[in-house]
Amino acid sequence: MTWLLWRQHRAQMAIVAALLAVFAVPVVVTGRNLTAALNACSHSSCGGLFTHYDAIVTAVNLTVAVPLIFGIFWGVSVIGRELEAGTAALAWSQSVTRRHWVRVKLLWLFGSTLAASSTLSALVTWWSNTRNVVQESRFAGLPFDLQNLSPVGFSMFSAALGLAAGIAWRRVLPAVATTIVGFVGVRMIVELVFRPSYLAPLTRYVSMTAPPEGPPGSLVQDTELTLRGHLVSGKVRIPDTCTPSKAFNDCMDRLGYRVRITYQPAGRYWTFQWIEFGIFAALSVVLVAVSVVLLRRRDV
Amino acid sequence: MSTAAIVTEGLGKRFGSKWALRDCSLAVPTGRVCGLVGANGAGKTTLLRLLAGLSRPTSGRAEVGGQVPRDDIQFLREVGYLAQEIPLYRRWSAADHLRMGAAMNPRWDDGWARERLQGLRIPLEQRVGTMSGGQRAQVGLVLALAKQPSVLLLDEPVAALDPLARREFLSTLAEAVADQGTTVVLSSHLVTDLERVCDHLVVLADSRTVLADDLDDVLATHRLLVGPRRDTTAIERDHVVLREERTHRQLSLWVRLRGPLVDPNWDVQELGLEEIMLAYLSLREPAPAGSRPVEVTA
Repeated sequence: MTWLLWRQHRAQMAIVAALLAVFAVPVVVTGRNLTAALNACSHSSCGGLFTHYDAIVTAVNLTVAVPLIFGIFWGVSVIGRELEAGTAALAWSQSVTRRHWVRVKLLWLFGSTLAASSTLSALVTWWSNTRNVVQESRFAGLPFDLQNLSPVGFSMFSAALGLAAGIAWRRVLPAVATTIVGFVGVRMIVELVFRPSYLAPLTRYVSMTAPPEGPPGSLVQDTELTLRGHLVSGKVRIPDTCTPSKAFNDCMDRLGYRVRITYQPAGRYWTFQWIEFGIFAALSVVLVAVSVVLLRRRDV
Repeated sequence: MSTAAIVTEGLGKRFGSKWALRDCSLAVPTGRVCGLVGANGAGKTTLLRLLAGLSRPTSGRAEVGGQVPRDDIQFLREVGYLAQEIPLYRRWSAADHLRMGAAMNPRWDDGWARERLQGLRIPLEQRVGTMSGGQRAQVGLVLALAKQPSVLLLDEPVAALDPLARREFLSTLAEAVADQGTTVVLSSHLVTDLERVCDHLVVLADSRTVLADDLDDVLATHRLLVGPRRDTTAIERDHVVLREERTHRQLSLWVRLRGPLVDPNWDVQELGLEEIMLAYLSLREPAPAGSRPVEVTA
């Protein structure tokens, strides 16, 4: 069946390889310039490192949408399109069993998705070295999604979702719609609801005179105003003694107001990466199992 | 059982609450070309898909080439199937399809396939999506035959073809099966095609088999009896009456004779295949021996 796979999917694989190559060029060029600039800059000038790099920064940020592409272009079409076009019946009328056909197709889907998404992730992670230091830490929202294991996990999930949708609907268009809605929905829920609570966060108290940041490289989840250890909620009555002026923060500080920062320390980055990757990997496995069962039970 | 390439017993398939095929029992002897006839929705496609192993029966059983249809290589290599819409990869050439067949079938006669397509003047390197319906049907047929199956199942393969393309398709089929001794089941609406190529006949009506017999026998035993109105109990007892038409003076009976006709007062006419099929297709119940006729008052 290797010839069949190659003949069917060679155009798709060539396009993705070409896109990766095209994307790699500006990434590598700007990445090297940025690394050199970072080594050369002093503390004060480092902040302006990215001023002329808007285009590449936007391009890198846009790769957050790439995992969805594996689902709607590869996941849905690998079996779903064959069911819609009736060519699955052609393949199954040859002397290859349905089981074998499905197994080989799955191998192609996840093997190619893994290869392509890992390559992209490697490029983006390498490029982001400078940005992790100068701008947002890699633990924060979008950078977390773009680097290391996360995009690979998302891509595999997206491919599995497309696969299942294609088999369930047996038509490409509704399968694509389901994949988009499902992918965006699950990603949002996991990122906004579950990610903050993978591990119990730490807290620290920071004076009102200092910037309300966590330690370097951490993920800040909350900043709240406290007075003597208790949360100040609702309207804050500004004491009469503190006037709105330059010394306002000093005044509040003397009265005992502090900023409580809830955060995940930088050392937990990889734990979080593995946990989230594990969640999406488990979802993918479930979806593949559902797909195989559906295909076996349905007559097509 | 050993001489029949295809045997089914009480085969049935239900989708939800609707039976697409019910209580189908037939036996197709080896080496026959069997025509499968029925109105749209009678269950022809369902039956063929059950025999090909693409679908699993809700009730009953089937044996094709001596094996129960299932998903393994032993079965798949012996059975060829061509679906109604002739599914092919539109962007592939005929040569690509042949290469796929060679890669995916243990038994594959590539030389024969190429020769056949070239003989039909079908370009091997042209995209299948740009070919005419007749050419696509020929490519599909050649693909199904090149793996040298012992049983070949064709679902209305000539329905969308012009008369010339139909004739070419059927002659390709007839030649190939004569050489290889393949058993063929071919579903169709068109009686002329069936007469040309088939030697066995199965008729489905209302998702049931109403007739399964050699074509020669069918033509030899079905007759139209015309005569003055009279009592028909004797006829109904000795033979199978499929259909009745009464005017106030005359009575016409479509009959399957089960022995010699003793009453000399009937005018006996031979029936063409189309007439016979129409009589069966209008039955609302299965017609085992001694069924009740459907009355049509003219």
